[in-house]
Amino acid sequence: MNNIRNKYAIVGVGESKRSKNSGVTPLHLALDAARAAIADAGLEAKDIDGFMSYSENDSCTPHQVATYLGVRPGVVKEILGGGSSTELLIADAIGLIETGQAKTVLIYRAMNGRSGMRMGGGGWSTDLLQNAFDGGSFLIPYGAGSPGQWFGLFATRHMHLNGLTQEHLGHVCTSFYEHAQRNPNAFFYGKPLTLEDYMQTAHLSSPFTKHDFCLESDEANAIIVTSTERAKDCKSTPVKIMGMAARQTVSHAHYWKNLDEVASDYVAPELYKAAGISPEDIDVASIYDCFSWVVLRQLEAYGLAPKGEVGDFVAAGNLRLNGKLPTNTAGGMLSEGYTHGMNNVLEIVRQVRHEYAGTNRQVENCEIGICTGWAGPDIAGAMILSK
Amino acid sequence: MSEETKVKYDKPIPLKTIDNTPYWDAADRHELALQKCETCNSYNHPPGPSCSNCGSVDVIWKNHGSDIQGTVYSYVVSYRPFLPGFQNDIPLVIAVVELTDLPEVKIMGNILNGNAENVTIGKAVKMVWEDVTEDRAVPQWKLA
Ligand SMILES: [Zn+2]
Repeated sequence: MNNIRNKYAIVGVGESKRSKNSGVTPLHLALDAARAAIADAGLEAKDIDGFMSYSENDSCTPHQVATYLGVRPGVVKEILGGGSSTELLIADAIGLIETGQAKTVLIYRAMNGRSGMRMGGGGWSTDLLQNAFDGGSFLIPYGAGSPGQWFGLFATRHMHLNGLTQEHLGHVCTSFYEHAQRNPNAFFYGKPLTLEDYMQTAHLSSPFTKHDFCLESDEANAIIVTSTERAKDCKSTPVKIMGMAARQTVSHAHYWKNLDEVASDYVAPELYKAAGISPEDIDVASIYDCFSWVVLRQLEAYGLAPKGEVGDFVAAGNLRLNGKLPTNTAGGMLSEGYTHGMNNVLEIVRQVRHEYAGTNRQVENCEIGICTGWAGPDIAGAMILSK
Repeated sequence: MSEETKVKYDKPIPLKTIDNTPYWDAADRHELALQKCETCNSYNHPPGPSCSNCGSVDVIWKNHGSDIQGTVYSYVVSYRPFLPGFQNDIPLVIAVVELTDLPEVKIMGNILNGNAENVTIGKAVKMVWEDVTEDRAVPQWKLA
């Protein structure tokens, strides 16, 4: 996709209120986020002709959102999916704009992820779960029903083979919690985490403590994608999409067959080829963080830290604001909020725009950011953004 | 098996499907059956409608008997039940086991006599079968 390098941009970002119990439907949250993103871009609702969303059957439709913004959309799209769906939908939006089927596309994720349907589970029929995914009869009877357990199997082996320790997971958590202390809208604002506290926290499912699991929140996020040409009509600073790899998979749908391979390994080469840059050119990062270990594994996959030295890299404080790669600077899904990755997209856009200039939140002189999505070890996507 | 034991088993029982029935039928007889591709010779686990390695429909079932050895490929220890029925099995060791004779095959199970202290990657285990109802059995692992 070299031919579309820097031709498209994110021109608006917005979010609803974040809470444990919104008291409203996902549609209300989606409308709040959409209106905020439209205002951020300096557009009007009628300027948006494409509406897209992803969900786990826990949200509202793009058609509804357009309707209650007073717009008849030219194109609507909704997909089932969690992590890396934002990247996939941005790629779809670019395709639609490139082929003249849309001009400006709004993408959102709206969910009552805490008060409504919780990803952490509970209340599921186990028979339903056995049929819900390929090979489910070989997992569910053994009590393996949570991503924390599935990804934990990858983590245990990867940590064992690469000399990673509980402290290294702790450094990911404490770095992100530290970011959250500068973000009044973060769930864990005012609740700092020390490594000492982390190390005294019991496992929920090894190697993960409650701090290694992402949080659950009620909120909606929205972004607006258009051409760099059309971005000139927006009041915001456009953040250009240098390159992306929408969604790659591992070699096998039964991904626990090979715990040494993750989809991000396949995303990385395509991503850097598309963007025309190398990992060392990246100044700031949003790394999908449904679990702390997922960050370590992606730092390795994307070449952001040398394989075998990822633990040292995070222990040296490199994910912190003054580190080599400030990462998830609003707190990430471990401590800011959880919208299956989109809150991390909002943050990287704001960093690359220098929206925090003059405050204690801005990564100084950052020009290029990476944003990664992880649906699981089996499915991932990513993009590189620049000012 | 006594009535009392039957009532006690409230964990999910493996669902037999169009693709996996020979595996679970063999398990009920305390045997391991695996799907094998006659085109590329790979073993497919979990089994499927065709070979998950090459796509061939020429797949057969091979019986590997009841003496099944393996080593721990990876594992987790869960301290809360993430599914209904497991509240009395905490801490629960969930392992992916690599078969000694067929390292390409990885089979998940609980290590019944395992815990956070005695399970490590590479540890030898053997397959055992838990009778869970009058006619159903579930393959599991025990430290060898
Ligand atoms: Zn084959």
